[in-house]
Amino acid sequence: MSRPAHPHAMAPHTPGRTRTAPPQMPSTWWSAPRIRNYLLFDATGIVYYLISFLAIGMVQALARGPESWEAVMTRLRHPAYIAFHVLCLVSVVFVAVRFFSLFPKAQPKAIGPIKPPPGPVIHAMLYVVWLGITAIMTAILAGVIF
Amino acid sequence: MRAFLLKIEPLIWLMFGQGILIGTMLLTGWILVVGLLIPLGMVDASALSYDRAYALATASLFGVIPVGKLVLAALLVLPLWKGAHHVRSLHVDFGGAERDGIVGMLLYGVALVGSIVGILAVVGL
Repeated sequence: MSRPAHPHAMAPHTPGRTRTAPPQMPSTWWSAPRIRNYLLFDATGIVYYLISFLAIGMVQALARGPESWEAVMTRLRHPAYIAFHVLCLVSVVFVAVRFFSLFPKAQPKAIGPIKPPPGPVIHAMLYVVWLGITAIMTAILAGVIF
Repeated sequence: MRAFLLKIEPLIWLMFGQGILIGTMLLTGWILVVGLLIPLGMVDASALSYDRAYALATASLFGVIPVGKLVLAALLVLPLWKGAHHVRSLHVDFGGAERDGIVGMLLYGVALVGSIVGILAVVGL
């Protein structure tokens, strides 16, 4: 962890006339709040990878028939799976909050004559869509509707 | 390998972006119900009995649009690409820039294989 990734990445190509100390990354670089959040955002990729493969396995079980499906649903009651899904939920909420805050900044100033809505409006729209889809998905899967 | 990855970067970013946006929007409700509320007994397990789960997965809109399969396919495939791209980025951040080409190919390769397996699983319903 304390090994600098590229200590000379920002150094000039040719040494200057003034002697300078070699650039060094502090050993705690990864724990600085901004970088830590950035790394955590990246680390959610591991969770997304795993939840996808788990979901693929569930659909395969559904295709195999009732016994396979019931076996999978029983397995999900194991505390390890529940802990994993708590981690998944924290991860998707973290990704949503961070990504939605970045999204308005990444929009072009204009596409032809059309200008995108102000940042706060885009931000609010993303939350409305996300919470709306989550509410509908939750209601359908939980048997509240349909 | 890095040259190849740079060439297909628009495609990777398309899948990665949709993985974050659509993947996150679909996964939240899925995780909540399938991973937590039903296993914890807060929602009756009959909500996702085999018959109901199969009916939901194969539901169609107006008998034409296979909405259940489309949602499932997006839910299975898109997060894989978000995962692959961010794990690659994490690997670079922790000093793996020299092996980025091979690691990137491996991660996207797994995402591609997973996408094909996932789509085949959905089509096979």
